[in-house]
Amino acid sequence: MKRRRGLVVVLVLALLALPLAASAQTVELTLGSWRVDDVAQVQKLLDAFHAKHPNIRIKFTPTNPPDYNAVLRTQLTGGTGPDLMYVRSYKVGQDLYADGFLEPLTELLPILEENYTVGSLEAWSLDGVPFAVPFMAVSHGIYYNVDLFKKHNLEIPQTWEELLAVAEKLKAAGVIPFANGSKDEWDMNEIVFMNLLPNFIGGRDARLEYETGQVPFNDEKMVSAFQALQDLAPYLPVGQEGVSYYDAQQLFLLGRAAMFFGGSWDVAFFVASEPDFEWSVFATPAPEGRPQVVCFHPDAGLGLNAASPHKEAGLAFLKWVTSAEAAQILADEIPGFYPLNVNPIQIQSKHANDFYALSEGKEVDARFVWPVLQAGEPNGYLLTQTAALAVVKGSMTPQEAADYLQEGLEQWFEPAMKFKK
Amino acid sequence: MIHRAKKRWWKEHWFYFTIPALIIYVWFMAFPLLNSMRLSFYTGTGLVPTEFVGLKNYVELFTNPLYKDRLVGALKNTLILFAICMGIQNTLGLMFANMLSGRLRGAAVYRTIIFLPATISVLVTGFLWKLILNPHWGAVNYLLVNLGFDQFYGYPWLGKPETAMIMVGLITAWQWVGIPTMIFLAGLQGISEDLLEAAAIDGASGTQIFWRIKLPLLTPVMGIVSILTFVGNFNAFDIVFAMTNARGAPEYSTDIMGTLFYRVGIAGEHPVAEPNMGIGASIATVIFFILFVGVSLWLISRERAAKNS
Repeated sequence: MKRRRGLVVVLVLALLALPLAASAQTVELTLGSWRVDDVAQVQKLLDAFHAKHPNIRIKFTPTNPPDYNAVLRTQLTGGTGPDLMYVRSYKVGQDLYADGFLEPLTELLPILEENYTVGSLEAWSLDGVPFAVPFMAVSHGIYYNVDLFKKHNLEIPQTWEELLAVAEKLKAAGVIPFANGSKDEWDMNEIVFMNLLPNFIGGRDARLEYETGQVPFNDEKMVSAFQALQDLAPYLPVGQEGVSYYDAQQLFLLGRAAMFFGGSWDVAFFVASEPDFEWSVFATPAPEGRPQVVCFHPDAGLGLNAASPHKEAGLAFLKWVTSAEAAQILADEIPGFYPLNVNPIQIQSKHANDFYALSEGKEVDARFVWPVLQAGEPNGYLLTQTAALAVVKGSMTPQEAADYLQEGLEQWFEPAMKFKK
Repeated sequence: MIHRAKKRWWKEHWFYFTIPALIIYVWFMAFPLLNSMRLSFYTGTGLVPTEFVGLKNYVELFTNPLYKDRLVGALKNTLILFAICMGIQNTLGLMFANMLSGRLRGAAVYRTIIFLPATISVLVTGFLWKLILNPHWGAVNYLLVNLGFDQFYGYPWLGKPETAMIMVGLITAWQWVGIPTMIFLAGLQGISEDLLEAAAIDGASGTQIFWRIKLPLLTPVMGIVSILTFVGNFNAFDIVFAMTNARGAPEYSTDIMGTLFYRVGIAGEHPVAEPNMGIGASIATVIFFILFVGVSLWLISRERAAKNS
């Protein structure tokens, strides 16, 4: 076994050496990713980089999204990982870094701090060491059918209470207020609950209070968030348990539902579907008297393989990615996925820009369970998912749902343990 | 003389002729199976577990409620699937075969219709039935509501834990009913005409002939059909994956052994999606032993039946 592995290493090295010998000047790097939909778009970004650095070529090699985490880890373990790679935010990325697969980017720290917010950097740092450049984020909000709103004389709701009043009027008029369902299960949690949650508990500072054990996970604010979900339930489509994420998109696009809890990643699909009505988006409103907080989720970072033979070239690329120029190309090419760069950017797609504008001037935060609550079993994501589904279905009260979350987390999450009953 | 020597050579060396098949069998069946069992004693992240942990994966699987509850649930749902396939698919198969073997007009047409669904890809079947059962634009609810059953307006057949597994089972039965039909038909055609004629002359009715002659003679065929169904159900994965999801939505009510194995061992749980290969391999081994016991029981009972007759 050992001998064979040695032979493989020699062979791989020999193969790697071949192109090197052929063209000593140009180095070619690979960029791993889960974004199979963005091949042509990312190529434009890479071409722009190549124009600046003619001796470095980067090849985009994306993997099927559901397999990415496992495939990447296997490649990295076997020494065949890409030189550069998309890195998932928080837990998955931190695990890769902790296992030594990602190069620490300490030398880029000054540029990173200049171009990104603390919140963005946190998503790809461990103990203060950044291991990936913040690359793309997605935003959450509520899509609405402008024509239907006009027809029923409705205004964009500014508070949660107004949102429910709008929903009530639509329901009375025979229109489905919200298209969302829970057949796929993750959507009720990720698209609806995570979307409204920061408006009820607050942004990053409030999240840190939970994460550091200052408040229990079943405090009043959490109960009020589950209460909001319960209040929403009557305005979901009939038989929402059988409505999948795709069905929900279709109910909205067919004009049968007036609103859709969604994310900026839906923009490209909605634009391409060309529905025969005008549509736009508004920020998920907070209850009366609370500040609006937008769920703006850091999604993808760019990291460097610690075992890459072309680290210098890789670092040059990562450095360039932090520039305003790269951010602008990304914003132009991939509508709905926003650069995390703090430099002002122009978004050409009208709808993507509308969506982006929702978060401007407001506090933003990542999806609640992502930063630290997925590091143990039972996983915080599955806990909120089970609780959210049960609340919508009516088999748990908001208080029971919050208790369920607290009781699940206190089994492994240290800060939650002191609230154990 | 030469002839006899040749014959003896064959007798001693027949074994060599199985070598090509044996190589294929060992390399593609036996080795992966044994290797999977070996992996169930290891743990580690990534696709190749590296750290030996003995029986720890099995202990986890059978005692940690996170896995135990899912394993018990998956076993229960797989048995529901098996019950539906035995009770509906195979019973219908037997009925169809009995009708087709008689002097039925247009038997060839019916045979084709009955067998047709089995030729469609499971993913296509799943997708089509998902549309048919959709609460908002599905044909089933549309039909029921128009027939006056208003309570089915928007009923989510695949969204309710009470109906989802039954629906998945019924659709599996719908798709595969052609297979037992064909096997039973072959079995019925193997029954000697003399017996049936003799019975008819003695004045036995069609029903009597079916219960007293055809059915007892079909017992070995029923065994084969049952064991095929059993193996198929315990290895099933695709229909659930196509119709609900790999988490066995809603509330794990359609989670069967195949989806449990896939989720734990191959895909991992969304959104972290890091599979646990070791526990996955131990689930695969458990499935193998269930199948092994089931098939062995069938083989033993067949041996016994052969001895008795």
